[in-house]
Amino acid sequence: MHRFLSLFILLVGLFANAASHAADAPPSITTADDLGPVVEQPIEFPHNRHAGNRDPADAADPSVPAKGGMEINCMYCHTYARRSMVSGIPPLRKCIGCHQNLPSVRDTPRIQKLFEYWDAKKAIPWKKVHDLPDFVRFNHERHIQRFIFTQGKPVQEACGYCHGDIKTMTVARRQKALSMGWCVSCHEKDHPVDAAATKTTTHGPNDCWQCHK
Amino acid sequence: MSVSNMLENWSKFRHMHPVDDAPYTEYKWAMSIDLDACSGCNACSVACYAENNLAVVGKEKYNAGQEMHWMRIERYWDEDGREFPDQGAQFIPMMCQHCEAAPCETVCPVGATNHTADGLNSQVYNRCIGSRYCSANCPFKVRYFNWYDYPTTNNVWPDEMTQQLNPDVTVRGKGVMEKCTFCVQRLERAKNNARTEGRLVHDGEVQTACQQACPTSAISFGNLVEPESKVAKQWAHQQVELAAKDAQAKDEQEGGSDLRGYRIFEELRAYPSVMYLERVRESAI
Repeated sequence: MHRFLSLFILLVGLFANAASHAADAPPSITTADDLGPVVEQPIEFPHNRHAGNRDPADAADPSVPAKGGMEINCMYCHTYARRSMVSGIPPLRKCIGCHQNLPSVRDTPRIQKLFEYWDAKKAIPWKKVHDLPDFVRFNHERHIQRFIFTQGKPVQEACGYCHGDIKTMTVARRQKALSMGWCVSCHEKDHPVDAAATKTTTHGPNDCWQCHK
Repeated sequence: MSVSNMLENWSKFRHMHPVDDAPYTEYKWAMSIDLDACSGCNACSVACYAENNLAVVGKEKYNAGQEMHWMRIERYWDEDGREFPDQGAQFIPMMCQHCEAAPCETVCPVGATNHTADGLNSQVYNRCIGSRYCSANCPFKVRYFNWYDYPTTNNVWPDEMTQQLNPDVTVRGKGVMEKCTFCVQRLERAKNNARTEGRLVHDGEVQTACQQACPTSAISFGNLVEPESKVAKQWAHQQVELAAKDAQAKDEQEGGSDLRGYRIFEELRAYPSVMYLERVRESAI
């Protein structure tokens, strides 16, 4: 009896110990599949309607509301990506610029909310989805210039290296780990050297100060 | 530099000296400081505080030797038989010399400080564990340690003052070493713009904060690889060579040289990237 009791106490103690350790550990930033947290946005912006692929059935009749996406270039709205460190969130007037001429969707709940912000002259408080630590310097321009303008990759493929398949999402959610090891896993690969390159290396920069500041 | 890369190519990283096996092809950032033009006004130091989010530690901590000025004006007094002791004031702007064979790099236990492909001596704050070995090994004593968590505990940047912080530079926390970076954030920006246009950075396109603030233009900064850059011309004119060993060839001539250029502690073979031009006038005051 004593032996059973002591075994029981030992087991309970072990579990309690393990449980308390689990409670002490900081919450994991990344999940098992590298998915980021779900971010609640003020307006559930449908990336799939704007950037998604066209549905072949849509083209036939313009009066019938389209089901597929409109294949808008990512950089139509995120316009700074090709010429700045940050890609930029479009200002409200960019949304309105198109939507004031789109009466067919004017009365849908999301567009009504959009015009509420416009009438109140307030910017939409979008939340950040892809948030890097403050000590990291990620340069959109370099990646866009290299992959899209020099190597001619499709825009959505190049953006998707880090952002995942945004055109199938409504509100964007982080798809990749965006950790240093994940960045380096791509930088270590041998990529074809472009004609304009002054460097002879085939891999991405592999130097601390390229990304860390 | 990933860990795997660092382990595989360890010997290569430790060979980033101005020896002939790894010459610079694109950039080698270097500086020259004309001490005859320098008036010791400390504007460079102030500019560095503003640019690089340096904490102003206050008198008490300064007296304890915990100051954080990456750029400092060192004073020396030469009082031999002068009518007025003030006449003997000598000073020299001092910051990280970005040595090619940097003594700090070899001793870091975690590889937080190492050489970049542009010839900078990098310091990666989030890798640093604060052993302070690098500072102990630095002959110029230009590395500064964060003894306190200045942003939060010491009220260094109260409320609105945080708005003046440079977003391109990390605000360092407690327990990491920091030092002059040659304003690497400006260099990165200039290189980025140049690369988009498919060229190298022009001479004069990028300025360090201290150079920009210097009222007498005593500081010049640029790319030593480009022979037409101002710095490369100055180095060549003064016959100061980056890879010279114990002393420059011109200094070993009989009777010395009339040229003003020199590097500090040349005999330690750290190969600094900063050349000073000797003062011509007798006294600063």
